[in-house]
Amino acid sequence: MSVLINKNTKVIVQGITGAMGKTHAGLMKAYGTKIVAGVTPGKGGTEVDGVPVYDSVAEAVEKTDANCSVIFVPPYLCLDAALEAIDAGIPLISVITEGLPPMDAVKLHAAAEAKGVLVNGPNCPGIITPGECLIGIHPGSIYMAGRVGLISRSGTLTYEIGLGLKQAGIGLSTAVGIGGDPIIGIDQITSLKLFEADKDTDIIILVGEIGGSAEEEAADYIKEHIKKPIIGYIAGRTAPPGKRMGHAGAIISGNKGTAESKTKAFEAAGVKVAKTPSEIVDLVKAKVSVAV
Amino acid sequence: MRLREYEAKALFREFGIPTPQGLVIKVAEEAFNIKTFPATLKTQVLTGGRGKAGGIQFANNPEEAYVHAQNIFKLKIKDDMPTAILVEPKVTIKKEIYTSILIDRAYRGPIIMASAEGGVEIESSGAIEIVPIPGGQYHPFLGRKMATKLGFKGKDVLKYADIVQKLWNVYSTNDCDLVEINPLIIDGDDNFVALDGKVTINEDSVDRQPRFQGQLAEHLTDLGEREFKGKMLGLNIVELEGNIGILCNGAGLTMATMDLVFHHGGKPSNFLDVGGGASKAHVARALDLVSSDENVKVLLVNILGGITDCVEIANALKYYKETRPNANLVVRLVGNNETAAQKIMNDAGIPMTNVLDEAVKKAVAVAA
Repeated sequence: MSVLINKNTKVIVQGITGAMGKTHAGLMKAYGTKIVAGVTPGKGGTEVDGVPVYDSVAEAVEKTDANCSVIFVPPYLCLDAALEAIDAGIPLISVITEGLPPMDAVKLHAAAEAKGVLVNGPNCPGIITPGECLIGIHPGSIYMAGRVGLISRSGTLTYEIGLGLKQAGIGLSTAVGIGGDPIIGIDQITSLKLFEADKDTDIIILVGEIGGSAEEEAADYIKEHIKKPIIGYIAGRTAPPGKRMGHAGAIISGNKGTAESKTKAFEAAGVKVAKTPSEIVDLVKAKVSVAV
Repeated sequence: MRLREYEAKALFREFGIPTPQGLVIKVAEEAFNIKTFPATLKTQVLTGGRGKAGGIQFANNPEEAYVHAQNIFKLKIKDDMPTAILVEPKVTIKKEIYTSILIDRAYRGPIIMASAEGGVEIESSGAIEIVPIPGGQYHPFLGRKMATKLGFKGKDVLKYADIVQKLWNVYSTNDCDLVEINPLIIDGDDNFVALDGKVTINEDSVDRQPRFQGQLAEHLTDLGEREFKGKMLGLNIVELEGNIGILCNGAGLTMATMDLVFHHGGKPSNFLDVGGGASKAHVARALDLVSSDENVKVLLVNILGGITDCVEIANALKYYKETRPNANLVVRLVGNNETAAQKIMNDAGIPMTNVLDEAVKKAVAVAA
């Protein structure tokens, strides 16, 4: 088992004829993901690597029963693409695109919430259930399948941890790259809830970073609702205030969003916080050996 | 991309928000064109704290104005040298209010933020009122709701709500991160007037806003040299004070690497996230940018290739080593196309250290 996606997830790729969409549709397919269709308005009837392309999401859903869409379209076309997927009844949408105008993101999430649609991202690496399904841009070979759930605001840092765990012989149930934007869909709390309920996840890793208060809110949620052990990590402990550290959402504003506040909140909720990426692996290893 | 006050006010007027009748001067001699005294001369820099730095002066006649203008044009505030002065007549102030619109993460959308006490830093102001704009859909009652919260009655409710509606129009039409009026005043004729204006255009959205396209360079004059060049090259760089140059891919991994450098007793010279899928040329520019700080003693390159091809990075490093044979490089390069990259690095004689902690420790040792 796993959360959000598995071997039965039927995925369409919006923007499959673009450079990014084409490359990653191929990589996802090679990994074993069921890529059932692509959508590019105006290119219906063509094929990309043997995947049929449709003019609309509605048509792709009607023909293939797709239940997930990965969006690779350029930033200014992204809101329209996501609204189309929501309108077509897709229940899970992963928006990989970075640089979505903030007001477009607000409208996207408002529309998704009104219809109960789960949105992963934007500005995220996607989700991977190792050995079963990959949506997005994770390098599949870096992960192995196992019983640890991983939630992270960062892409490459997720790979770093996945790789470290694999080298230690530890695998993941699912890794959810929730994205680095200030406003995201599937967040830390949503992911925690899913992993807590997943009978094939024993331990959860929660990778946060500076900016906003999502970690503090997650900590409050953990205190009340999560029984599984959690290992935490916060990137940006040494970041200067007032500077945007790569991600649109990674900024300490005034005295808000500091790593110190997040670390304290985690620790108060019983989350063991690692100081370095390799320490995350050590802490998980210790928990795994206790569980065995 | 932050606009200067006179640009923000021009935008306000276009959207129907009243401002004082200002005059923009680009050379001190233009001070003799000022018609109304007493007058306020305000330096048009992008940094805050310009009043304290001496960038705002009052004049009672053209001669005084000319002297002030000469001084202001010579006054650099932080890294920012003014290219314009905004001259405005002195106005009667009955009341000062703070009003802004911005996206708030906690509300998952835009909010109206206001205080009945304007003119000061909002952080130190008294009661801050917030009215969220749900789903980014503005309706006039939201402005009236804020007016009531601020204590306005009768006609003033409508006058204030009208300003908020127009401020929303500025915000939503131009893809702003922030629009702020501080202070918004009630003048001697009981009219609401924007006495100051702050507008920040969202940088990701500039390319779909024709009026702001191509203006980024002239609106980044407050940045340090490497940060300015980085913006122009599409590179995320943040200046720090140490001597270890950092180049990584992905914001989280770059932050983690920076944290690790401190953890192992070193000091990074910068944060640089080269982004996903970087080409050889892009990486080469990033390497040049990082090493353009003369304090840099060693370059720490940490790449975990997913969407990024390690061969592109290796080729950029090879070129860098050829052009700067004496540069200290500590390289960790794993992931996508790692084996081919390893070969390029071997041929170029650049050692690789593929355990992250080891690489960081090595860089710290070289820099010490």
